[in-house]
Amino acid sequence: MKKIFNGLFYFFKFILLIAAFGLTLFVLIRMNVRLEKNMISILPELIPFVILLIIFIINMAFKQVGVIKNLFYNLTCCLVFATIICVALRAVFDTNMVLNEKYGYGIDFNFFDNFIAYIKIMLYGLLIANILFMFREKDDIKSNELNEV
Amino acid sequence: MKKILLDYANTFAYTVIGLVFGLAFFLLFINFYHMQELDTRVDVVSYNANNKTQVEEKIAIIKNNISVYNQTAYNGPLNIYGLNTVQIKLQNCLEILESEEMMRYLELTEIGIKDSYHFSLDFKNKILNDCLVMQIKSIFNTDTVATLPNFNVIKPYVELNLDTLLGSVDYIQSNIENSDHYHFNTDNNRANFFNLVDDSYAGVMNNYQSSLDLMVEVSNWYRSIVIGG
Repeated sequence: MKKIFNGLFYFFKFILLIAAFGLTLFVLIRMNVRLEKNMISILPELIPFVILLIIFIINMAFKQVGVIKNLFYNLTCCLVFATIICVALRAVFDTNMVLNEKYGYGIDFNFFDNFIAYIKIMLYGLLIANILFMFREKDDIKSNELNEV
Repeated sequence: MKKILLDYANTFAYTVIGLVFGLAFFLLFINFYHMQELDTRVDVVSYNANNKTQVEEKIAIIKNNISVYNQTAYNGPLNIYGLNTVQIKLQNCLEILESEEMMRYLELTEIGIKDSYHFSLDFKNKILNDCLVMQIKSIFNTDTVATLPNFNVIKPYVELNLDTLLGSVDYIQSNIENSDHYHFNTDNNRANFFNLVDDSYAGVMNNYQSSLDLMVEVSNWYRSIVIGG
């Protein structure tokens, strides 16, 4: 059962990461177009997504069991990305938030803007934990090899 | 030593993940709660029926009061330019009050947050700006009206009420606009403090009724000077 759930969350975390990245990019680009700001200014918000994707690919390529088989980590990743998607979708589609209508841009930037700090905290948290789980895995493998010798 | 450090690193990683899990869980569910809260619909059938009756009664009083003056038939001593001005301005206000845009709020059976917000905006634009400021306030800044009896009695009363009414819905509008910033709230404290949809609508409606009361008072003054004069 645990294996099935882990596989499910592991699969979904890639899809949700791409969806969360796409939606965040869409909202941030629209926000910068409105403010007539340089697109380079949105990079700090997107860097954690890119690094996380690279690390996920490294986890997959090197079959890092400490991360891949960590149910709690995969579940948390899915929850974080689902939260980001939920907030981005609300910023676009929740017309009950009156500022969306008042400013007439079709996106409630005010609402999304409040959330950017939380996005960064959660994504950098996932990054730090992933890197630490990688070290743990190496250590376990080495210990097992030594025991076998 | 290295193993101990790695054990600590593992514990730290789980702590970080635990905190991230908690934060994401909180934000996800508070978003659902906030979405649900903003989507609240309130039944206002009986509330609006009562208010509509009161509004119609007050409009009928104003109409009746301003119809006592007829320029062609008037033979009294008062300045007819002053009387004409007051009649025309009150008539303009009546047209705004009876307009479809304002009356439709009294015919709603169910309201949401957007209805409350639009009501507060329309009240500010049409009743406060177009009617009270542009018509009623301007009556009392006209030289010909200043010659009418009891002008000095009614003028401070109108100005005091206007000052109170002009800022009366600002806090309601700000409250609704600030509702985009979500915060943790429960049904209990929401009921005790401020129900955004219901209380905002009632707040604007109370001010709408107060504006009508002010116009009734002005029209009563007008009637008394026309008949008395």
